[in-house]
Amino acid sequence: MAKSPPVPPPSSPVPLDEKRASFEREALVHLDVLYRVALRLTGNPADADDLVQETMLKAYRAWDQYEKGTNAKAWMLTILRHAFINEYRRRTRHPETVDVDSIEPYAVFPEVQDEDPQGAFFDRIVDDEVLRAIDQLPEVFRETLVLSDVEGMSYQEIAGILEVPVGTVKSRLFRARQLLQGKLYDYAVEMGYIKGTPA
Amino acid sequence: MNCRECVEHLYEFLDRELTPELEQEIRAHLEDCPPCEEQYDFEELFLKFLRARCRTQGAPAELKKRVLRELFGE
Repeated sequence: MAKSPPVPPPSSPVPLDEKRASFEREALVHLDVLYRVALRLTGNPADADDLVQETMLKAYRAWDQYEKGTNAKAWMLTILRHAFINEYRRRTRHPETVDVDSIEPYAVFPEVQDEDPQGAFFDRIVDDEVLRAIDQLPEVFRETLVLSDVEGMSYQEIAGILEVPVGTVKSRLFRARQLLQGKLYDYAVEMGYIKGTPA
Repeated sequence: MNCRECVEHLYEFLDRELTPELEQEIRAHLEDCPPCEEQYDFEELFLKFLRARCRTQGAPAELKKRVLRELFGE
């Protein structure tokens, strides 16, 4: 008779209460962050809701693999981004066909240096207009800018989430900010908040 | 450090992503160079403005309920 395989030691699953408590403490607290990022990625509230819901489910299922007390925010944003790429991007936004490396933004400061060096015109631009301008950025710039400038993540964390080198984060962020400034500046000129340099 | 190098590193400086040595060089340059300092103020203001404008929105209450319901059946 064949020897039966050794019986594995009884696993000690984390009690459900404990799992739930740690998930609430470390993961659920990032709901707002996940939602804001999801909204900027998908471009609409209904898909953002679904994406966040799915991210939370995936994160809860994989919770035992997450090393507690490390960086739940970055871990969950990575899950969210994968879910977005695999399931949502196809039917919401289309991946860029433009070559983002060929985009050469210009610096706004020299344009406003004389008229409004303190950037007072920014104060007149309302939230919705800023979000709209962000939504018009190419996806690779948009995601980098949102993670950094809205959610305050470090270059290293962003590099981990986007799976690109830190140098790429740096250069995308530089160009994303300049591009966004340019859009907001153009808008401010159009609205008459600032005279601007005549073209 | 010249102005071009300073402006190139301005965002990393604002993001606190530079080595202490380079950070010190930028700080020293900014103290001596009013135009670069002005640009530093402008970029700093822009980043603060961006964060203030974009963080007002949070997840809808309904979504939170939906997530809790789905995860814990409540």
